[in-house]
Amino acid sequence: MTGLTSFYREKEAYLLGIGFIVFLLALWQCVPLLITLPRGYALFFTTPSRIAATFYRLLVEGQIQEHFYVSVAAFLSGLGIAIAVGLPFGIVMGRSRTLDALSDPYVTALNATPRLVWLPLFILWFGIGIWSKVMIVFVGAVFPLLINTYAGVKNVDRVLVNVVRSFGANEWQVMKVVVLPNSLPYIIVGLRLAIGRAILGVVVGEFFGSSKGLGFMIASAASNYKVDVVFAGVAIFMGLSLILTLSVKKLENSLARWRPEAAKNF
Amino acid sequence: MVPCIQARDISLTFKPKNRDPVTALKELTLDVAKGEFVSLVGPSGCGKSTFLNVLLGLLKPDGGEIRLNGKQITGPGQERAMVFQEFGLLPWRTVLANVELGLELKGVQASVRRERAMELIKMAGLAGFASHYPHELSGGMKQRVGLARALVTDPEVLLMDEPFAALDAQTRDLMQLELLQIWDRTKKTVVFVTHSIEEAAYLSDRVIVISARPGRAKDVMKIALPRPRDYEMRLSAEFNDIKARIWASLKEELVTK
Amino acid sequence: MGLKEKYHEYHRPILGMASVIGLILLWELTLTYLIPVDPFFFTKPSLIGTAFREQLFGERLWRDLAISSRAFIWGFSLSVIVGIPLGAVMGWRRRVEYTLDPLLTALYASPLVALAPLLIIFFGVGLLGKAVLVFLLAVFPFIFNTSAGVKSADPLLINVVRSFGGKELDLYLKVILPGTFPYIVAGTRLAIGRGLVGIIVGEFYAASEGIGFAIQNYGDTYRLPDMFVGIIVLSAIAVALTELLRKAELMVAPWRAGEEIR
Repeated sequence: MTGLTSFYREKEAYLLGIGFIVFLLALWQCVPLLITLPRGYALFFTTPSRIAATFYRLLVEGQIQEHFYVSVAAFLSGLGIAIAVGLPFGIVMGRSRTLDALSDPYVTALNATPRLVWLPLFILWFGIGIWSKVMIVFVGAVFPLLINTYAGVKNVDRVLVNVVRSFGANEWQVMKVVVLPNSLPYIIVGLRLAIGRAILGVVVGEFFGSSKGLGFMIASAASNYKVDVVFAGVAIFMGLSLILTLSVKKLENSLARWRPEAAKNF
Repeated sequence: MVPCIQARDISLTFKPKNRDPVTALKELTLDVAKGEFVSLVGPSGCGKSTFLNVLLGLLKPDGGEIRLNGKQITGPGQERAMVFQEFGLLPWRTVLANVELGLELKGVQASVRRERAMELIKMAGLAGFASHYPHELSGGMKQRVGLARALVTDPEVLLMDEPFAALDAQTRDLMQLELLQIWDRTKKTVVFVTHSIEEAAYLSDRVIVISARPGRAKDVMKIALPRPRDYEMRLSAEFNDIKARIWASLKEELVTK
Repeated sequence: MGLKEKYHEYHRPILGMASVIGLILLWELTLTYLIPVDPFFFTKPSLIGTAFREQLFGERLWRDLAISSRAFIWGFSLSVIVGIPLGAVMGWRRRVEYTLDPLLTALYASPLVALAPLLIIFFGVGLLGKAVLVFLLAVFPFIFNTSAGVKSADPLLINVVRSFGGKELDLYLKVILPGTFPYIVAGTRLAIGRGLVGIIVGEFYAASEGIGFAIQNYGDTYRLPDMFVGIIVLSAIAVALTELLRKAELMVAPWRAGEEIR
């Protein structure tokens, strides 16, 4: 008995959190048993077990894989380009006051506006296919990376720069020994935000500008009232987001070994 | 004999954007002999630290000449190393990697610099802490790392910018004593900036009082106390006499400010 | 003050303005003299300017804006009404937080926009569907930031108020509420961005009016200058709201100027 209570005490947060999710799923599953839905609504209704069954069927049929690869290709290329562009630009903006001032209006305006407004233009330019998606993923992901890199470079401690200079370091060494290590935690946070934006870009890009991919699968299933398929697709995106976000969080924590406990969650 | 450090009429004016220029140093002249321990005391903002940065080569004076062993100082060099007030340790590096910094930047081979760094870590009393990160250390230990890091390239001149100001009183006493021992063993030339008259009198061969801004060398006092010095000496009448003399000179600067 | 000092003082805005004007000129001149391009695929500032003037005095832009704003305001208000109390309870009661946090964190990290097609089918292409989408996206920053704000209440300050004989109510009014305010304002800024995404996706997806629909519709019909007018107007609104909130952050919490929360 005491063993059980102390086990509960120790794992309370975990048990309550997971327990609540399980409870909600069970409740959802039981809705048809508890109330009779009117005919019109029954069409839109599904249960977790039916979603799981549909998910399994799509997986066996290979439909999910087919759409998945298309989505992942757009996600990775867009995010890759965003990293390749965002990091160098962030560093340069952080080091040069003039370039910072020159680019500030664009960064502010583009960052405040939801980048999805560009989608119709990209579809017009690149057609319905991977490139319009890559572009929308790119514009979504590049700003968190750029802005966080910039912040990391800007927040470098002047004293540390002086320390390294006092040992005769040149500009490149200052960059390598002080500026980059200081920016790394910021860049990782930027990466976490960028991943979220990139997935958003894939989803919405495929709703409108694609004839393949998980987003397309969701949209076309919805217009055919295949609610199970919609939820199966949403579940994949949820899983993907969670796995990626959690791995980046892990990376954040491992990189934060040198920081005092309290500052880790910034 | 040529003095180790020769500063002649050093002037430096900061011209910050949007604000009035500030003359930090004006025609500051002083010599430091080889192996000598010299302290600079003066009111806040008198340019003591600025002068150290000129010596270090991070700041260029507008006027005057500054020479090290007869050669003009034009930038940082490995004959000089600085111990910083805020420690200036790279937080993402371990103690070992922090101490290695100077050798690493010179391109010294990894195994060689590691060995040398470990030697200094031991000398600074940090044996067993080589793989700790700075945030795991106390203030006193952080400054030991700072000292070991400065000494790793075996510089001729050690510049110390209020190195013990951030420490508590007891740690400070201890560190002063250890600094004297290290100085005695390594025969470095030391230029030491401090706010504390007591610290300056205790450590130095000469104390130089810097005037309120713009800073110049106002008074030079020789501290003729025997070495090695110990804590008890600080209780002697002679020592108090010296402190009173420094205070008298410094007080005028505080009043005019 | 000399000209040079004036320049130093305003050097950022001057350079920023110069770069915007420079880009507009470059864009215009390139497309006019260097590479004359297909007007269906490219446009230039002068054409956008003309379209802008026409739309400004026309009816459609204003109607679209009114329609989008209505859905936005409904969804956004609902997320304030739900998010702040929920976040406050989560921050104040440990067990509630334990229970809700994993679910809400998972939902916050997920692209809930993926539910848009379903929501539109469920709630229709009109006001309701869009408002629900906005709510679903905007509610999370309110929940999490309010909770963080309540949790950030300094135990020392709580003890100070208690030691002066303060009651539970004093605690809420004097310590917790003021401490939470800056967090909520920061959450509002995030929520605005997410809410705008909701409006745009909702209107792209299945609408026949609204600013998002207009942008997409102009794109479909190759009316690029008009499409850019829509984008610029939306951009201007987003920047204005964001900057307003930034100012508000500084006002409610000058002591934490510039600090990012979540």
